[in-house]
Amino acid sequence: MDWLATTREAFALLFSGDADLWQVILISLRVSLLAMLIATPPAIAFGYLLATASFPGRRLIVVTTQGLLASPTVVVGLILYLLLSRQGIFGSLKLLFTQEAMIIGQVLIALPVLVAFTISAVQGADPRARETAVSLGASRMRSTWTTLLEVRFGVMAAVFNAFGRIVSEVGCSLMVGGNIAGVTRNIPTAIALETSKGEFAQGIALGFVLLLVALGVNFALAFAQGEGGMK
Amino acid sequence: MSGPILVVEGIHKSYGTRRILDVPVLTLAAGESYVLTGENGSGKSTLLRVLAGLEHAEVVACRYDGRPVDLGNYPDWLRRDLIYVHQHPYLFRGSIFDNICYGLRARGLIKASYEPLVREAIAWAGVGALLDVPPHKLSGGEKQRVALARARVLQPRIFLLDEPTANLDAEARQQAIKLISDLCDANRTVVLACHDREIIELPRMNRLNMGRGAIETWNGGAVCV
Ligand SMILES: Nc1ncnc2c1ncn2[C@@H]1O[C@H](COP(=O)(O)OP(=O)(O)OP(=O)(O)O)[C@@H](O)[C@H]1O
Ligand SMILES: [Mg+2]
Repeated sequence: MDWLATTREAFALLFSGDADLWQVILISLRVSLLAMLIATPPAIAFGYLLATASFPGRRLIVVTTQGLLASPTVVVGLILYLLLSRQGIFGSLKLLFTQEAMIIGQVLIALPVLVAFTISAVQGADPRARETAVSLGASRMRSTWTTLLEVRFGVMAAVFNAFGRIVSEVGCSLMVGGNIAGVTRNIPTAIALETSKGEFAQGIALGFVLLLVALGVNFALAFAQGEGGMK
Repeated sequence: MSGPILVVEGIHKSYGTRRILDVPVLTLAAGESYVLTGENGSGKSTLLRVLAGLEHAEVVACRYDGRPVDLGNYPDWLRRDLIYVHQHPYLFRGSIFDNICYGLRARGLIKASYEPLVREAIAWAGVGALLDVPPHKLSGGEKQRVALARARVLQPRIFLLDEPTANLDAEARQQAIKLISDLCDANRTVVLACHDREIIELPRMNRLNMGRGAIETWNGGAVCV
C-alpha cells in the first residue's frame, strides 16, 4: 500500500467536500453534542449536590461514579442493546439502530465523567466562596451558581473530558447504532468498519478530523484557562 | 440607650469532649459596638459564625428584635439584616464593582438602582483607583476594604467582622480602622473579633473577653451567670 498516495487521497476527500464523508462527520457531531446537551445540566447539578450535601449513601454513590468512569463503552452498548432489542424491556420503543439509541448510550457514558469531575471541581472550591455568597443574601440557587462560576475551569474540564470521551467511543455506537450509512455511521464506527473493507483514505481523513476535534477541545480549554489568569 | 437587637441564650458547641462554645447569654444592643478579645482558639470566630448561621451550635433560645429565631434553620430575612466578613475576605472573580453589587443584585435590584449605591460604597472604601485591578491581585488590606464596602452597601443592622486588621501592614491597618470606626459611629451594631489595641480602645467600644469558649469578662467586670 502506498501511504503517501492514500494520505493525499484522504485530504482530497476531506477538502473536496465528499458528501458521504461529511455526512459521517455531521452525524458524529450531532449525536455527541446532543448527548452533551442532555447530560450536562443534570450531571453538574448532581455532582454539586454530591460534593456539598451529606446524606446516607452519598459516599457509595461517589465511589460508584468514580468506578464507572472507566467503564468499557462496549459493555454500556451491550446492556443498552439488551434493553432496546425486540425482546428487551424497551423493545417496543423501536429505538435500536437509531441515532436516539446512540445518544442514550453516549449520555450514559458521559454522566459519570461529568459527575466525577464536577465533584472534584466543587470540592476544590474555597469554602468561603459559598459562605460569602450566602452571607450577602444569595438564595440557594444563586449561591450554587456563584460557586460553580468560581470553579468554572474545573467544570469546563468536566464538559470537555466527557465530550472527548463520547465523540471518540466506538463500542456503544457500534452496538446500538449499527453503522448504518447516512443514519448511524459516525466517525469512530466508520473508521473501525470501513477501514477493514479497504477504505483507507476515508479512515485516515476521519481519523484526522477526530484528532482535530480532540485537539481543538483541549486548546479551547487551555485558552479559556489562560484568559482566566488564575493565581 | 436603645433596647436589645439580638439576645441569644445558651450557646453550646463542642467537638467530642472539647468545649468550643459555652455562652449562657449574649445580648447585643442596637447601635452599640462590641469587641471580642481572647487568645487564639478561645472561640471568637466560632461565635461570630454561629451568629451568622454559617456554623451550627446548640442554642436554647434566640430573639432578634423581640422576634423568636431558630439559628439552626436560619431565616433568609435575618441574613439580610446581618453580615459576616471573613478574616481573609473572599472576593469573587469579576471586578471590584461586581463584588460590591453582589448582595444588591441578590436582593433583586436593577442596575439603575444599585449603581449609585455601589459608586458611593467605592468612594467610602477609597478603592476608586483600583477598579481595573482583578480582585485576586489586590493586597490583603485592599481586599478587606472591598469586603467592608460590599457589606456596608447592603445597610445591614449588624456587622460581624472577624479580625479585620490582622495581618495588615501599618498603612492598610490605619485605613481599615478608619472604615471600622466609621461603621461603629453610623448607629449600626458592630461585633468584631480582634486583637488590635487601637480598635479595642475606640470610644464607646464594649469589651468582651473570651476564654475557652466562654465570655469571661464584660467591659472588664466579671460576667455573672
Ligand atoms: N472541626 C473542628 N474540630 C475540632 N476542633 C475544632 C474544629 N474547628 C474548630 N475547632 C476548634 O475550635 C476552637 C475555637 O476556634 P476559633 O477559630 O473560634 O478560635 P478564635 O478565638 O477565633 O481563634 P483565633 O484568635 O486564632 O482566630 C479552636 O480551639 C479550634 O481548634
Ligand atoms: Mg478566629
